[in-house]
Amino acid sequence: MNDDILLETRDLRVEVNGVPILGGIDLTFKIGQVYAVLGPNASGKSTLAKTIMGLPEYKVTGGDILFNSKSILGESITDRARMGIAYAFQTPPRISGVKLDDFICRVCPDYQCSDDSETFMGETCACKQILYDDFERLGIRNLANRDLNDGFSGGELKRSELFQVLSMRPKVMFLDEPDSGLDYDSLKIVGKELKAIREKHEVTLVIISHHRYVLEFLEVDKVYILQHGKLVYIGDMSDIPVLEEKGYERFLAEMTG
Amino acid sequence: MPSDNKKKRAHSAREKPSQYGSDIDLENYNYSTSKPNDLESLDELSEQDRILTQEVGFDPSQERVSATFMQFDNESFLADVLIQQEGLEVMPTDQALQKYDWLHDYLWNAVQVDTDKYTARSELENYSGYFIRATAGSKIKMPVQSCLIMKKNQSVQNVHNIVIAEEGSELHIITGCATPSNVEQSLHLGVSEFYVKKKARLTFTMVHRWSEMTDVRPRSATIVEENGTFISSYAILSPLKSIQTFPKVRLVEPGAKADLYSVVYGSKKSKYDIGGLLSLEAPNSSGKVISRSIATDECEIIARGDLIGLSGETRGRLECDGLLVSNTAVIRAVPMLAARAEGSELSHEATVGKVGAEQLSYLMSRGLNEEEATSLIIRGFVKLKVPDLPPALQKSIDDAIKMSMEGSM
Repeated sequence: MNDDILLETRDLRVEVNGVPILGGIDLTFKIGQVYAVLGPNASGKSTLAKTIMGLPEYKVTGGDILFNSKSILGESITDRARMGIAYAFQTPPRISGVKLDDFICRVCPDYQCSDDSETFMGETCACKQILYDDFERLGIRNLANRDLNDGFSGGELKRSELFQVLSMRPKVMFLDEPDSGLDYDSLKIVGKELKAIREKHEVTLVIISHHRYVLEFLEVDKVYILQHGKLVYIGDMSDIPVLEEKGYERFLAEMTG
Repeated sequence: MPSDNKKKRAHSAREKPSQYGSDIDLENYNYSTSKPNDLESLDELSEQDRILTQEVGFDPSQERVSATFMQFDNESFLADVLIQQEGLEVMPTDQALQKYDWLHDYLWNAVQVDTDKYTARSELENYSGYFIRATAGSKIKMPVQSCLIMKKNQSVQNVHNIVIAEEGSELHIITGCATPSNVEQSLHLGVSEFYVKKKARLTFTMVHRWSEMTDVRPRSATIVEENGTFISSYAILSPLKSIQTFPKVRLVEPGAKADLYSVVYGSKKSKYDIGGLLSLEAPNSSGKVISRSIATDECEIIARGDLIGLSGETRGRLECDGLLVSNTAVIRAVPMLAARAEGSELSHEATVGKVGAEQLSYLMSRGLNEEEATSLIIRGFVKLKVPDLPPALQKSIDDAIKMSMEGSM
């Protein structure tokens, strides 16, 4: 049974700049399942994802993170990325002078240039056309030749992040508020893309959100609700409309007594 | 100016220290006394020299160039214009001065001979260097390449270059200066004077690679006439003992334009003092001085930029950006703006910072390791939008960064 557990946290405690954010969290994520991690502002949702990715400001003070049953606390961000953990940033930093298309060719195996690595920043490579077609699908063809995250709109950032994370062919991906700042059309594009991933049952999808917009587009297997750095509720799809109606405070008060 | 007058002025400035940079005792070096020999052809280049020249953007196969000039120390030369190029002249400066009387009016015209002890010394010793001219209306599409190599210990390479783009001409020059890393104590004195006539367009790209014991004191200046364009890109990628240079560009007639770009990749204990001055002297003249500095190891970089608006209806822009990749390196950005006429619009931006931790984490989360991520950030940082930057030079910059990253991390 435990064979299909991909990732779990055990009594995970995390602090940022000396301030405790997560106070002992136990979560499991199974292969090919879709999870929603919900909770009010400042409940620790993003911290959870960033800690699992290994970002240095997020200091683990207790507990463990297991990936394929092995602790990854000692692994670097790079190693975690290479073992199949991906995190779509909520506000990714600008990288001047690095074009989105060149960057994707550099980091995503699917688009890796057949040209030798010496010339990857060069003018053109043959594999670009395939990349451009895929950009088109997420509506970010216009960003191809722009510096990474430089002046991208909110919606463009989300779609560019989703594109990058997907292209890395991860085993588990954390999407940090993939629906915030999206207009309805963008939301539909993102939702459709996520639904397609879900249908393949290959990638474990963890969606961090405080509202339900994107969740309307795909079925979630499990809902985790965090509050004040603790896991306070485990539920499923059917809880979401109730949650929306009542709000976190009332919902949690009623459900957890 | 008669030549004995020049000598007189040079003598008067023999002891005059430079405005910037550490002082060098010019008596510690040997100056060339003999006349240089001709180098028969580039086939005579040793494999080692061939690689060295390629590192500064030189193409020994001469495939995509219109002419080649090459010089070793002060001793041997090659000046070769590929036959089909009409309107292009490339020859050693001393030969050109013998051939053309009028050229004496261009010698020490843009650069003043009594600027400091280095210009003075350059005039007083034997010098060589190149004269490159595009005649009126000639469009020389392929670049002229030049390479100056300095191999002797304790010696001085003293060059005086004169470049003239006549009215309506187009000329591109790629020049490299290099010293093999085993050369001990040497000095490069380089005087370069550029003249861009009406509606002419001159691009000048220069790459430096020196040894750790070389001091370098280039002195160059440019005069741009009506609607002429001068674009200069400079890259220094190697460690060295010290360099101080502060090229001046004067836009003397309406519509003149100049852009100066520089990339300094500082390493080891090297001292770089590199600047650029743009003097906007006529209406509708405009230009930019843009520098990117990366400081690694224990190097010290001073990036100066100076804009002077002497006429109304002028526009100048200055950008000095520095990236620190070491706790023991220093970058000082010194932007200077001086408007002396109403309607001269001058602006600047100067930033000095470290590689952002957030940027690193972000790139690492996409599977790059720390070294690759740092290198990508640096490469992005120096990726200037330089018009006509030869791909070979871009590659040379990329390679230098890559090599240095591998060596230091």
